Amino acid sequence: MLDIRVDDKGVILLSGRFDASQAAKAETFMAAVTESRILDLGELQYISSLGLGVLLATQKRLMGRGHTLKLVNLKGHVREVFHYAGFDAIFSIDPLPGA
Amino acid sequence: MAETRESTEQRSFPRSAACLPEIFDFIDAFFRKAAIADEHRLPIHFAVEELFTNLVKYSKGGTRDIRLELKREGARLAVSLTDFDVPEFDMRKTADVDVTKDIKDRKPGGLGIHLTKRMFDDIGYEYVDGRSTTTFFKALE
Repeated sequence: MLDIRVDDKGVILLSGRFDASQAAKAETFMAAVTESRILDLGELQYISSLGLGVLLATQKRLMGRGHTLKLVNLKGHVREVFHYAGFDAIFSIDPLPGA
Repeated sequence: MAETRESTEQRSFPRSAACLPEIFDFIDAFFRKAAIADEHRLPIHFAVEELFTNLVKYSKGGTRDIRLELKREGARLAVSLTDFDVPEFDMRKTADVDVTKDIKDRKPGGLGIHLTKRMFDDIGYEYVDGRSTTTFFKALE
């Protein structure tokens, strides 16, 4: 199950599993994102290509408007998948500030 | 001490992405039963999800359930997905995705199969009388 929350600083926190069965839920949420945001993936355990596709589509849409998604706190399997997908070249990926 | 454990489980799943949570539970239960280290679990989830959803979307004529078989052969894990009454599909022959392209030229299509090929050095394929079986092998070290 994928959980999506927004903290009091506007950081979007994804946790759990971002697989094909959760893509529609994430698409609905991300469609409402219209400006630059930080996405904290520290509690995201798993992502598949459907999840990558949702993030790629969001990044392309935001960059077309001069905005961007910044990804922080990627770990383990998620970091590995992002690297293999070449996403570390098309997203700004940083550890959490102060981490 | 050398690991000599042998274990096999198989189950068939309807052709729907909604089955994924049940598939992941099946894999996790096998990992516990066969005493396989947790570090191998998510790459197996990934490969099975990517191929399973690909078969559901693109296997023309496929109507039967898709069979998932997990087999521990000592220090090796073999994970097979079999689709029935479908055309041949050998994922090893699919074109790689250029992951160095600029974002404006990037498309998500084909990425899952590409990434699965990157994660597994050893992938087998067999096609006999309309039965299409892909097997991922993982060394358990």
